[in-house]
Amino acid sequence: MTYFFQLVLSGVVVGSIYALSALGFVLIYKSSRVLNIAHGQLIATGAFIAYALTVWVGIPIYLSFFISMVLTFFLTMSVERIFLRRLIGEPIISVIMVTIGLMSILDGLIYLTPFGSENFSFPRFLPKEPISMAGVSISWTQLVGVIITFAMIGAFSWFFKKSTVGISMRAVSDDQLASMSIGISVPRVFGLAWATAGLSAAAAGGIIGNITGLNFDTLHAFGITVFPVVILGGLDSILGAVVAGIIMGLIQQFASGYLDGNWGLNGTGTVLPYIILLIILLFKPHGLFGIHEIERV
Amino acid sequence: MRNHKMMFVPILMSFIAVLFFAANLQAGEVYKLALSLAITGPTSDAGNPYAKGVEDYFRFVNDTKMLGDDRIECTIRDDQYKTDVTKRNFEDFLDQGIVLYLNYSTGSTMGLKRDFEEEKIAVIPASFHAGNLVDSNYIFLPIASYSEQTIGLAEYVANNHKGDKPKVALFVHPSAFGRGPVEDVEKAAKAGLNIEVVEVVEHGQDLDNTAMLKRLKSKGVQYVISQTVQSPVATMLKDAARLGYTAKTFGEAGKITFMGAHYTGGNDLIALAGAAAENFFWTTSYKLTSEKSAGADAQLALAARYGRDEKAANSHNYTNGIMVAQVATEVIKRVKKQGLKVNRKTLYDELNQMNGAKAFQPDTTVGPVTYSKTDHAGVDTLQLYRVDGGVFRSVGTPFLCEYIKKI
Repeated sequence: MTYFFQLVLSGVVVGSIYALSALGFVLIYKSSRVLNIAHGQLIATGAFIAYALTVWVGIPIYLSFFISMVLTFFLTMSVERIFLRRLIGEPIISVIMVTIGLMSILDGLIYLTPFGSENFSFPRFLPKEPISMAGVSISWTQLVGVIITFAMIGAFSWFFKKSTVGISMRAVSDDQLASMSIGISVPRVFGLAWATAGLSAAAAGGIIGNITGLNFDTLHAFGITVFPVVILGGLDSILGAVVAGIIMGLIQQFASGYLDGNWGLNGTGTVLPYIILLIILLFKPHGLFGIHEIERV
Repeated sequence: MRNHKMMFVPILMSFIAVLFFAANLQAGEVYKLALSLAITGPTSDAGNPYAKGVEDYFRFVNDTKMLGDDRIECTIRDDQYKTDVTKRNFEDFLDQGIVLYLNYSTGSTMGLKRDFEEEKIAVIPASFHAGNLVDSNYIFLPIASYSEQTIGLAEYVANNHKGDKPKVALFVHPSAFGRGPVEDVEKAAKAGLNIEVVEVVEHGQDLDNTAMLKRLKSKGVQYVISQTVQSPVATMLKDAARLGYTAKTFGEAGKITFMGAHYTGGNDLIALAGAAAENFFWTTSYKLTSEKSAGADAQLALAARYGRDEKAANSHNYTNGIMVAQVATEVIKRVKKQGLKVNRKTLYDELNQMNGAKAFQPDTTVGPVTYSKTDHAGVDTLQLYRVDGGVFRSVGTPFLCEYIKKI
């Protein structure tokens, strides 16, 4: 039974980090209907900024994480202002193609820095000994990661449901023309969506970087790894990202814990989430919590 | 007067032409070599220092006139780990008239194998995949293959484990690069190597290896041998340390001893895993700068000469790049010494004769480089290292993998 509970705990930890990583996709899609393909690069950028501030500038690590989130917030806001704002009203596919271009540009820029070809790890700032209870353990890094994830997801959920800006972002997502007619600044909403996505990406980067170490390939790959989470949860649902993230985390851990190594099976933790994603999408094509829009002609 | 002026121009041009040809004669031959590798993109943490090693050593050869008036011109191009780009680069290099080619990844080496055969050009890749040598005459591995390294580690386990038959798990990259040695280790076990391969784990982008580690522990696994890159190994080591599974000494009862082949280790692993890398056992054929040797001193001097930072200077992949450049230079030197023309054929023939009394000692490796018509794996000798106080230190003396000949 201890084994089962350990898998549950690990699944929740991994799942919540997936959820935080997926949040950036959701925030942008929710307001602009655009899929940001460069999200993995933003995750990596946030992690690298935090490392540079901590190790090269000498700022305390907690403060570095906060500053990296603020810097990534403004970085993504600028990206939206420079590259994407002029595409408002253009076909969505054009905007997605721009995010692919953005991915290449960020790749190129990161390759110009030591982070493109070297490995680093954050200095240890949390206790080394894990927290153990009844044979189940979690590291401090994982625990702090989960707490930050849920705090951020809670904050974003409140923001979208209760704040005026959040509600106007949802309105823009629903109908840009109608939103403009009631005085909502659509460009401002898009800028804010990108900025908040950048903020969540930096938080995810900091957490993942602490767990895996700072390797560019590993970090930016999470942009793709969390894609099934985004699709399963429903592209425009924060709750969906949380639920799907935890489902994916649990499936991975249970598959790895109970299937791999038995009956000649191997790597099921990587494959099974995609199989389950396909099955669920057969019955719920908009994901678990995605909005099913009905258009009257 | 006008005629005199008209005469002056062709005379001047003839004079310049004579000077140009004379200067060219004085300059000696230029031997064109090329390297295509991942300076950016996946695995560039290995490719970047590797490229610097190749570049610096050839600069050193030219600057110190190691080949007299002759020079080596090695074009180095980034292929971002994309086989189609490597192929395009290789075709360009052929047009430039290269006489020897240095390749990089397992995928592109396997993919271009037929091209190398058709072009009859000797190739030294950074990939040590044993499959590179199957149905191939022109590929020369710099050091022992991944299979040889992995079986070598398994042999070390069999010879040094105390108690019943040791239980081993293989932790591999889900690609030809990672899977290559799996079958060979299993064959070695069948051929009498005293280990039991309990499970082969193909890792993914795992944030948490708890399930996998607990499963291996429940199956009684005592040793995990990795054939992949550093990042997944680092995550596994961190999780193992958190769970209290890491052996503090080799084969510690009730714990797991973690080991790995060339690309799992080095300073990059320590950078990623931090303290969790302690007691990780690693094998390669290269000497390390963390230990005093003539090769390490020469490597550090070379890096200092060309302004490389400390990280590159101490990277085992910088050593890796220097070593292949050393082999290329040595074989050119030998062909020249015989008074032969340096071309693809003479270099290939000379590489095949690099054995016995003609084995090459580059100092950057723990044993000699030996090639023959039937043996295209360069340095057969391996050295075991262990992370001790944040640095890789030698464990015992260099050894040879015995079972590679039995499978």
